Amino acid sequence: MIEVLGVHKSFGTLEVLRGVSLEVAAGEVVVVLGPSGSGKSTLLRTINHLEKVDRGYITIDGDLIGYRRRGGKLHELKEREILKQRKDIGFVFQNFNLFPHLTALENIAEVADLADARHFLGRVGLADKEDAYPRQLSGGQQQRVAIARALATRPKVVLFDEPTSALDPELVGEVLDVMRDLARSGTTMVVVTHEIGFAREVADRIVFIDGGVIVEQGAPDQVLDHPVQERTRAFLSKVLQ
Amino acid sequence: MTSGTLTPPSTKDDDLSALPVVPARHPWRWVGVAFVLVLAAQFVHGLVTNPAWDWPTFARYFTAESIVTAVGTTIFLTVSGTALGFALGIVVAVLRMSKSPFLSAVGWTYIWAFRSIPLIVQLLFWFNISYLYQRLSLGIPFGPEFVSFETISLISPMGAAVLGLALHQAAYAAEIVRSGVISVDRGQLEAAAALGIPRFRQFRRIVLPQAMRSILPNAANEVISLFKGTSVVSVMAIGELFYQVQVIYGRNARVVALLMVATVWYIILTTLLSIGQHYVERYFARGDRR
Repeated sequence: MIEVLGVHKSFGTLEVLRGVSLEVAAGEVVVVLGPSGSGKSTLLRTINHLEKVDRGYITIDGDLIGYRRRGGKLHELKEREILKQRKDIGFVFQNFNLFPHLTALENIAEVADLADARHFLGRVGLADKEDAYPRQLSGGQQQRVAIARALATRPKVVLFDEPTSALDPELVGEVLDVMRDLARSGTTMVVVTHEIGFAREVADRIVFIDGGVIVEQGAPDQVLDHPVQERTRAFLSKVLQ
Repeated sequence: MTSGTLTPPSTKDDDLSALPVVPARHPWRWVGVAFVLVLAAQFVHGLVTNPAWDWPTFARYFTAESIVTAVGTTIFLTVSGTALGFALGIVVAVLRMSKSPFLSAVGWTYIWAFRSIPLIVQLLFWFNISYLYQRLSLGIPFGPEFVSFETISLISPMGAAVLGLALHQAAYAAEIVRSGVISVDRGQLEAAAALGIPRFRQFRRIVLPQAMRSILPNAANEVISLFKGTSVVSVMAIGELFYQVQVIYGRNARVVALLMVATVWYIILTTLLSIGQHYVERYFARGDRR
């Protein structure tokens, strides 16, 4: 489904991704863990080409993201074509990024017809909030609207970039519930998060990233309970204490 | 707050919650109010009793046909200058913010040039353009011409005024639009891009409505200053309000009364613009209400 191969990315002299390769199967839920600055958010953002890669490539269902192969070269796509590709990739931001001048329903209707927009708003349990503006909603509700909006283009995969990190603790649960439902319904998901409990319960696979490389990956109980690598153990002992 | 540890020991037995609250008093505010009221009363008294204001002449000319026509011309210049100026200004702002260094330089140069030239100088240039170029023609550059016009018949004084005001306004409008656009959170563009919303639609549906919040107060300033700035085109003998007033007091020497005619018209129309501004701003603040 998603194939990331040998991806390198630098910001100035700082090399954030140093050769990351990752495959995600259809219907799989992959949780990416790692200390801050490890490159996990950047990896997520390269998958929908919000960040260009310096080396390596990404495909979704065999289609190259952001480039076209012609002759012996990768030609960067026109912005219009990249935007079209992004409809296949839902993205949920840490800060929700709802459009503040549009109601919950209008936010979703930017990318779907009204009936669809209502359907997705219902799916995250906010059918009664369609006329509310983002500022009138709690953080948890805003993030649920953002998830509904990400689903509205009927993407093949949904990427979550620390979706609960900006929320008050008591609001984290409602967002994780929505994500849990999505996972159960067979949505392909890549989730960057610090919620170890969610990772253990929902993930099919956990990927641990540090220093721009994948240090370790495997089933949740394997990575969380019996990590092989010293760096994974050090990180987990800090988060789980 | 109910626990005894927060209460100072001396008031342990007093129940403060039962006492009435007396707001702080501000006696000096009343002194200020009295002072301003006296000044205002003096001013109004002077307006009424001083015959030099010449209210009968004011009344005779305020709604005179020539004045009302001139007000119409002033409004026409303001509306066309604003509409064309902001339309061109949006284009220039987009150029200025373009990722292409060439387009960005074009936008920057436009703003630089038209902010550098005083409006009155520019207006006189357009007014006298036919001295510079007697004929304008469409054709292949450096090659044959298809059609050509006499410049003097193509650009009337009124046309020159509208052109000058619009070009001048566009430079300022471009910077106001740009300031609005860069005030919109980057995350908004990222979200729009992540959703695959086409570029032009991103600008029109997501960026511009949010940018309007900071564009509007500045734009209203510009419209109002353009409205009064139209008096500059009186140098081109165009019959807008200020020119018309000058013509009349040149004839009858009732300078003060006729300046008051113009002043009151400017005040009325600026008031209407300010009221309009209030409602337009309220519309664009709709997502900000709780």
